[in-house]
Amino acid sequence: MNNMTEPLLRLNAVRYRYPGASSDALAGVSLSVGPGDFHAVIGPNGSGKTTLVRVALGALAPLAGSADIDGRPASRWPRQALARLVGVVPQREDNLFPQRVRETVLLGRYAHLSLWGRERPEDHAAVMRALTACDAQHLVERWVWTLSGGEYQRVRVARALAQEPRLLVLDEPAVSLDLQHEMGLFELIRGLVDTQGLGVLMITHDLNLAARFADSLLLLEGGRPIASGPPADVLTQQTVETVFSWPVRMETVDGRPQMIPLRQPKESRA
Amino acid sequence: MKWALLVTVAVLALVASVAVGPAAVPLGELLRSDIVWNLRAPRTLLAFLVGGSLGIAGAGLQALVRNPLADPFLLGLSGGAGLGAVLAIALHLSGPWALPLAAFAGALAALALVYRLGLIGGAALDPRILLLGGVAIGAFAAAITTAIVSLADASELRNAFLWLWGGLSSASWDAVLVIVLYAPIPIAVLVAASRPLDLLALGEEPARYLGADVDAVKRRVYLAASLLTAAAVAVSGVIGFVGLVVPHLARLTWGHRHRALLPAAFVGGGALLAIADTMARTVVAPRELPVGVVTALIGVPVFTLLLRRWTIA
Amino acid sequence: MRAFLLSVLMLAGCSSPAGRPHGPTARRIVSLLPSFTEILFDIGAGDRVVGRTTWCDYPPAALAVPSVGDGLPPNIEAVAARQPDLVVLYKSGPNVTAAKQLERIGIRTVLLDLNRLEDLGPAARTLGRLTGREKIADSLAAAMDRLAARPPPSATASIAFVVWDNPPIVIGRGSYLHQIAELAGARNVFADLAAPSAQVSLETIAARNPDWIAVLSDSSVMPGFAKRPEWQAVRAVHDRHFLLLPGSLFGRPGPRTAQAVSELQRLLRK
Repeated sequence: MNNMTEPLLRLNAVRYRYPGASSDALAGVSLSVGPGDFHAVIGPNGSGKTTLVRVALGALAPLAGSADIDGRPASRWPRQALARLVGVVPQREDNLFPQRVRETVLLGRYAHLSLWGRERPEDHAAVMRALTACDAQHLVERWVWTLSGGEYQRVRVARALAQEPRLLVLDEPAVSLDLQHEMGLFELIRGLVDTQGLGVLMITHDLNLAARFADSLLLLEGGRPIASGPPADVLTQQTVETVFSWPVRMETVDGRPQMIPLRQPKESRA
Repeated sequence: MKWALLVTVAVLALVASVAVGPAAVPLGELLRSDIVWNLRAPRTLLAFLVGGSLGIAGAGLQALVRNPLADPFLLGLSGGAGLGAVLAIALHLSGPWALPLAAFAGALAALALVYRLGLIGGAALDPRILLLGGVAIGAFAAAITTAIVSLADASELRNAFLWLWGGLSSASWDAVLVIVLYAPIPIAVLVAASRPLDLLALGEEPARYLGADVDAVKRRVYLAASLLTAAAVAVSGVIGFVGLVVPHLARLTWGHRHRALLPAAFVGGGALLAIADTMARTVVAPRELPVGVVTALIGVPVFTLLLRRWTIA
Repeated sequence: MRAFLLSVLMLAGCSSPAGRPHGPTARRIVSLLPSFTEILFDIGAGDRVVGRTTWCDYPPAALAVPSVGDGLPPNIEAVAARQPDLVVLYKSGPNVTAAKQLERIGIRTVLLDLNRLEDLGPAARTLGRLTGREKIADSLAAAMDRLAARPPPSATASIAFVVWDNPPIVIGRGSYLHQIAELAGARNVFADLAAPSAQVSLETIAARNPDWIAVLSDSSVMPGFAKRPEWQAVRAVHDRHFLLLPGSLFGRPGPRTAQAVSELQRLLRK
C-alpha cells in the first residue's frame, strides 16, 4: 500500500439485496482501492462480485453502508464526471455494428467531449496513447470483428484507458482468453499500475493469477467477505478448501501463494 | 463528396417534384402557376419534411432498441392514429384540422401507453418491451378501429382506411408551417443524442460506464422519435418503409456514427419520399397511387438487396 | 298443370345477366340493394319483399319491411331468418361469396349487375320474371332502356363528382353517376377514367377546373373539405360552386333516375 491519499474507491460495510430476492447479494462488504493499488475480488460463482462492481460505481444504491468514489457517494457522481475518473471494462459488450479499432477506442473519449464539439487532436492522441500502453497500436485501423479474443480485450482496455481514468475496473477480463493472452493481460494491468499509478479493481475467477499479480485480494462467498488483505493472508489452504469446496495443495511462486486443485474429492492433506 | 451528392439528389428530387405532375404545367409557367404554388410546392415540401422525419426517427429508434429491423410504426403509433382518425369521422367532428388533430391525439395516447408499459417493473424502457408493447398496443388499437368501422353504418369510415394508407393529398402551406415549427425540436433532441447513441451500441451497461446518462438518453430518443412519427402520421397517414430502409441506406455510406447518420437519414428520407410522391402522382395519371404503396414497392427490393449484402458480408 | 310446365319451359329459354331465372314465382324476397327494392315495389311486388337493407329507404312503404343489416357484407343468418325463397344481390365479390353460402342452405339467389343505366332494364326484366310481374316490369324496363339510350344533350357545364376528399376520389365514366351527369348536360371532367371511381391528385382536379363540384349530401351544408386550404386551388371549391345531391335519389340507379336527371338539370340552371 502507498501513502495516505484519499482512496479512489471505498466501500464501507455495504449491504445490497436485489428487489424480490430472498437473500442479500452483498452483506457487510468493505473495500478500499487507492492509486497504485491492484485489488482483486475473487470468489465462487454467485458470490456477489459483479454486484460489488455495480454498487461501487453507483449503478446500484446500497441498502446500508456507503460506496464512495474519490470521497463522494458513487451514486451522486454525474455520469460524465465519473467516467473521467473511472474506466470500466465490463464482462460483456455488444457489437451491433462493424467498427474500426480507432472508432471503438474513440468512444472512450465521450466523457471529455462537449455536447456539440467535435473530436479534437488531443482526443485522437489519447486514443493512440491508450492503444500503445496496451501494446495494440498496430491494430488501430483493423475492423473489430477481425480481432482475436486477446486482441479485442486489449482494445477494450485501451478504450477504458482513453478515458484517462485514475481507477480502472475490470470484470472478468480474461474469461475465454488462452494462456498467452491471459498472462499478457495481467502483465498489462500490472504494468499500468506500476508505471502510471492507476488504481485497479479486478474481478476474476483465476485465483492463481490474482495472487501473482494483485496487491490485495478480497474473497467473497454468498455476498459475505471471507478474507481480505495480501494474497498470502487470503489464499490459505484452509480458506480455499472451505470456500471453494475442493481439496487443494498450496505452492509458493515468486513469493505468492498458488493453489493446485487435487483430483480426489474426499478430504486429503498435501 | 458524399454529402454534396446527397444534397444534390435531394434538390433535384424537390425540383422534379414541383415541376412534374399530372396537371401539365409548362416549364416556363411554373413560377406563375397557381397549381404549382398552392398545391405542388407545399406538397413537395411536406413530402420532404415527413420523409425526413420518418428517416431520422427510424435511425434513432433502431439505435435505441438496438434492432436494425425497427420501424417507427412498430411503436403502436399508427394504430393509435388510425383509431383517432376513425373516431373523429364517426363522431362527425368538424373543422379542417379535426382529422389530423384526432390522429395526433390517438398517436400520443398510444405513445403514453407503450411508454408506461416500458416502465413496468423498473424496466426503464427495455427495448424488447417497447417493441412488443408497441406491436400489442398497435394491434389492439387496430382491432378497435376495425370494430368501429364494421359496426358504424357510414361508408365514409371505410374510406378512412384509404387515408391510413398514407397520402400527401391534404398538403397545404398550413401543414408545412406546422411541421416546420414542430419538427426542429425533436430533431435537435435526436441529433444531440448522437454520441450517446453510438455508445449505446455497445450495450447499456458499457454505455453507462463510458459516461452516458443512459436512462435519460433512452427517454429522450424514444419521445423525440415518437413525436416525429406521430406528427408524420397525423398529416399523411402511415407511410411505411421509409423509416426502416432509409437508415440502412444511409449506413452503407455514412457508417454508424450518428452525428453523420442522423442528418443523412433525414435528407435521404426526405428525398426518397419526394421521389415516391412524384411517382405516385404521375405513374398512372390522372389516377394517383397511395404513396405508401410506392414506398413499399421501392422499399422492398431495396431491402432485399440490403439483406443480401448482410448475409454475404 | 300445363300452363305451369309451359311457363317453366319459357323461363328456361330466357337468358339473363346472371343467376337462374327458372323456377317457381318468388313469394318471399329479400332485396340486398336499394335499387332492387325500388324496382320490386315499382312493379307491384313490394308486398313480397320480406327483407331489405338499412339503405333501402324508398318508397316509404319499404321502411315497414324488416331490415337485415347494411348488407356490407350480407348477414347470412339475418337473411335466412326471414325465410325467403329468393334473395336478390348486387354482383360484387363479397356478395358472390354470400350467395354461395345462401345456396348451401337451400336459399335461391340471383346476382345482378348494376353499375350503369344499361343494367337497369335487364335487372327490371329479371325481377319481373322472378315475381311473375313481367308485363309491368317490361314497361318499366323499356322506360329505363330509353333513358339509357337517350342521346345526351350538348354539355352546358363541366362537373366533377367528389366521392371522398382525403385522398380525393372522383367518379369516372364507369359509373351511372357519370351517365346522369351527361344526360343532364354536364360534362364529367374525368370522363377519361374508365373505372366507376378512382383516386386522383388534387392538382388534376384543379387543372381540369370543373364548373361544379358534385357531392352526395343529404344536408344543405357545404362539405367539410370546402374549407380546407389546399382545396381552394380548385376554382369551384373556392367559389363555392357545389351541387349537393340527395343520397336517396342520386346514390343509386333505379326507377327514379329520370327524376335525378331532371333534378340535376334544375340545379345546374340555378
